Amino acid sequence: MGAARSELGNRFRTLLAGLAILLAWLVLASAAQARDTLRLAMPLEPPNLDPTAGAAAAIDEVVYGNVFEGLVRIGPTGRVEPALAESWEVSPDGRIYVFHLRRGVRFQDGSPFDAGVVKFSLDRARAKDSANAQKAYFEPIERVEVVDPLTVRLVLRHAASSLIYVLGWGDAVMVSPKSAADNAAHPVGTGPFRFARWRRGDSIELVRNPAYWGPQPRLNAVVFRFIPDPTAAYAAIKAGNIDAYPNFPAPENLAELRRDPRFRVVVGATEGETILALNNAKPPFDNLLVRRALAHAIDRKAIIDGAMFGYGQPIGSHFPPQNPDYVDLTGLYPHDVARAKALLAQAGYPNGFAATLKLPPPSYARRSGEIIAAQLAQAGVRVTIENLEWAQWLDQVLKNKNFDMTVVSHTEPMDYDIYGRDYYFGYRSAAFDALLDRLNQAVDAPTRSLLLKAIQRKIAEDSVNVFLFEFPKLNVWDAHLRGLWRDSPVQANVVAEAWFDEPGSTAPAEAPRVAQSSAWAAPVALAGVAALMLLAFVRLGATYVGGRLLALTLTFLAATVVVFLLIQVTPGDPAAYMMGLNASPEAVAALRTQMGLDGSLPQRYFDWIAGLARGDFGVSYTYRVPVGQLIAERVAVSLPLALMALALAVAVAFPIGVFAARRRGRAADTVTMGVTQVFMAMPNFWFAMLLVLVFAVGLRWLPAGGFPGWDAGAWPALKALVLPALALALPQAAILARVLRSALIDTLDEDYVRTARAKGLTEGQVVYRHALRNALIPTLTIVGLQFPFLLAGAVIVENVFFLPGLGRLVFQAITQRDLIVVQSVVVLLVFAVVVVNFLVDLGYAAIDPRLRRRSA
Amino acid sequence: MSETTIPGPATRGGRASAALWLGAALTGLFVAAVLLSLVWTPYPVADLDMAGRLRAPSAAHWFGTDHFGRDVLSMILVGARNSLAVAVVAAGVGLLVGVPLGLLAAAKGGLTDELVMRSNDLIFAFPSLLLAIMITAVAGPGAINAVIAIGVFNIPVFARVARGAALSLWTRDYVLAARVAGKGKGLISLQHILPNIANLLIVQGAIQFSMGVLAEAALSYVGLGAQPPTPSWGRMLNEAQTLIGFAPWLAIFPGVAIVLSVLGLNLLGDGLRDLFDPKLDRSR
Repeated sequence: MGAARSELGNRFRTLLAGLAILLAWLVLASAAQARDTLRLAMPLEPPNLDPTAGAAAAIDEVVYGNVFEGLVRIGPTGRVEPALAESWEVSPDGRIYVFHLRRGVRFQDGSPFDAGVVKFSLDRARAKDSANAQKAYFEPIERVEVVDPLTVRLVLRHAASSLIYVLGWGDAVMVSPKSAADNAAHPVGTGPFRFARWRRGDSIELVRNPAYWGPQPRLNAVVFRFIPDPTAAYAAIKAGNIDAYPNFPAPENLAELRRDPRFRVVVGATEGETILALNNAKPPFDNLLVRRALAHAIDRKAIIDGAMFGYGQPIGSHFPPQNPDYVDLTGLYPHDVARAKALLAQAGYPNGFAATLKLPPPSYARRSGEIIAAQLAQAGVRVTIENLEWAQWLDQVLKNKNFDMTVVSHTEPMDYDIYGRDYYFGYRSAAFDALLDRLNQAVDAPTRSLLLKAIQRKIAEDSVNVFLFEFPKLNVWDAHLRGLWRDSPVQANVVAEAWFDEPGSTAPAEAPRVAQSSAWAAPVALAGVAALMLLAFVRLGATYVGGRLLALTLTFLAATVVVFLLIQVTPGDPAAYMMGLNASPEAVAALRTQMGLDGSLPQRYFDWIAGLARGDFGVSYTYRVPVGQLIAERVAVSLPLALMALALAVAVAFPIGVFAARRRGRAADTVTMGVTQVFMAMPNFWFAMLLVLVFAVGLRWLPAGGFPGWDAGAWPALKALVLPALALALPQAAILARVLRSALIDTLDEDYVRTARAKGLTEGQVVYRHALRNALIPTLTIVGLQFPFLLAGAVIVENVFFLPGLGRLVFQAITQRDLIVVQSVVVLLVFAVVVVNFLVDLGYAAIDPRLRRRSA
Repeated sequence: MSETTIPGPATRGGRASAALWLGAALTGLFVAAVLLSLVWTPYPVADLDMAGRLRAPSAAHWFGTDHFGRDVLSMILVGARNSLAVAVVAAGVGLLVGVPLGLLAAAKGGLTDELVMRSNDLIFAFPSLLLAIMITAVAGPGAINAVIAIGVFNIPVFARVARGAALSLWTRDYVLAARVAGKGKGLISLQHILPNIANLLIVQGAIQFSMGVLAEAALSYVGLGAQPPTPSWGRMLNEAQTLIGFAPWLAIFPGVAIVLSVLGLNLLGDGLRDLFDPKLDRSR
């Protein structure tokens, strides 16, 4: 009994401590965001911030033109413009480039920019062990020469007219020899903004670089927030939590946003050709007739309507319509099912054939894929859809070319050259390669234009892939926001010239850091556990407790082995995922070695366990920061959420349980228990959606998703947790209420309760003073067991609300193949479950000595 | 997916309660939807109709149409197949593997018992949904892998129930008599123990069945269940999420379908337990 009470007291104290901290935050109300801070949302979080060591578009979308600059830049209209080089000359044979550098440029850490830095950056990018994703594009460079501190000469092996364009990409930005190695986590460039901080899973903040060589930006700070979930994106925009979403992921919601005067919806162009890619190296797709048949079978309009809600321009080849050299080839294979069938018959497939369609995660691909499957079925092609995560897609489709068809948007600018490479769709054509060669040698504009048109025609005539639509850039901007790019000639969000055309307000207040709360609660919890252990030893004897401890340790160790092995057989290469779509195999291999993925299996297991024992969880593959730090950040969301949910569940369950028990067998009892049955039958994510529908979409009382962070103020943070906590709590409350009711009914039948009644106590006194105390034990056991599951079981609810909590961290880490994070979090949760079970066991044994004898 | 048995309402006496009837009716509806979908749906679910998409519920489409113009009622009917199949097979996996393990543990005792029960503890130590997500991430999404991921957690549940009930039976006179008569432990388990714990297993089966429906919905919701174009309730809810503001029917009807089938199975389980053994209701 004593043990149970102390365990109970310990829980209550932890709970009270949590509540006290939450209340303290409540007092610090949030201040309005200043209008010199731009909050810009993007769908994907970059894996790291080094644009020279990864192909993920999200890296450039944060740092290109903001933190880092190259010799030249791609301007808002897609033209090559001067950047760190003021001017340049090209020799008539196209083999020598001379760049004249800007004077007085410094990196954000104060180190100077000069010709030596240019040589360092370019040599690093094209080095043998370079992890640069676009290494192949630097191949024409034979050597880089420093002429004087402000002049650099590039000598090429052969003419390469696209090189100047490549030098404007994020992969060719200038990095300082001093800081280059740390750019992944702490990027240092020459740009108008410098890196301030990264709240992983949530946002990255850049602040103005006062020492910038060019005109000072009008914004003081930029916060890039990561909101992949279309629902959460819509909610965040509507709630005024973000000022701009340049690639809005939910075209279905644009009509509604257009009607809202607070926003401007501007549809621009990207360089993203969305295609149904065919494996040209594999029968039957190696047959031109089949590829043409598939093109005829596809109805582009239905796809643009169904998948993109009408946004997106149809294309007939691999080339963007906004380009001056574009040729409209959409009429080459009109939608014609009869023609498609005839071509298939002619190719030797009169009854069609079966094929798989592997789809990456974005909704444009998933939706297009479903429509394509239905359209191809009409022509007799039986399609099996396989939905893949990015890591699997990269592994199976891009790397191992193990696919029939896929849908993907090729977002790189001027990427027609992939048809001349040994690329995943397996197209090889000497005629095409010859065209590409001539284009590379061509220095004058009219010849280039003719050749670009010939290339488009060649791709379309060979019907290499089925060309669907040019991906639209769906900009949603605050109505007062000016100076952002309408189009995406490169994958970038250049904010150097952005500003708000209305006066600013106060600066945001500083709020206490979250870390304090964990520091506070941990000793309390530890003290409680120690007290319970001591009590258990005294009352139960060392043999019993020792035995249980041994069992606990063994269970835990077995769990680590299971988790480790499960993780090891997970397909998908974390290194490939990190490098992104266009990475070269050598770069991926170099990264694998860097990440220590080459060791033997047992060796890696023991390294990991030894680390765990020291409290070292390792370093995240994707974020490249200690896993312990990541977990601590996420616990700051998950723990308050779990505590809130638990408190809510208890608060709701107790009155209901007591109410029902006191009226057992009567109509009120039956109705109450019926209601709890309904809540138990409800999937919590569906309940979450209903809550969003009513309280966020309908009443607009609470945000529909996302988490502003504790330093945005206590009130906004708590508000963001209310709906998720409710969604988690009510199904648990239903279970709890039933347990309590049943336990109360049991105790109400006991002799001592009858005695109390006989003594003349009122029914209320009997219930609250006698029966409830004893019914608490089974109820609190359930509460205790629910807690670790609330902490982890929130995976799906965290996904619905897009909260950066533990569950979401694991889920994200699984899809990103950040295996070390998955391992650590799962093991941590297992640890929590095992420890709670152990404590509950001890509590029971302390109460009921009979249990001791059996288990000891 | 937890093993906690939830006590039901206080219906006294071993007779068919209202809960049982309601549960049987809802479960019947669920099964009827599956059977009906095999022979008839209002519209073919494979047909897309971009011109008729996102229609609100009407006489032509009782539950409206989705973003591809598919009939929601037809999709729910066909989706029931998937829910039923995954949950039934997952419960079957648990039953077929877990019960023999539980009987073995009870019969042999000692090290065997310890081994079986500790492996159970091991599985219980994992947050079930998270491990199911990991399993499907490793093995690839799809209905079959969902069955495995859910079924794994049913094994210890049945093992525990079977072991607990069997242990108490091993001290009964008729079992002792069988032992004296020289019957082996395996035979006794099969002939005497198993028939006597069958009721308990049926009740637990109904509960695990309902949890399987919920778990399948959760896995499908995160995209790890049955793959498109096969309709599944969880994925329908996922797809409804961005459209909820202007097409709420897409989020409401599949959710109601899940709640009704899970509710039906839970009530059926509770009702059966009361029917078989009224005392069980008060045992926890």
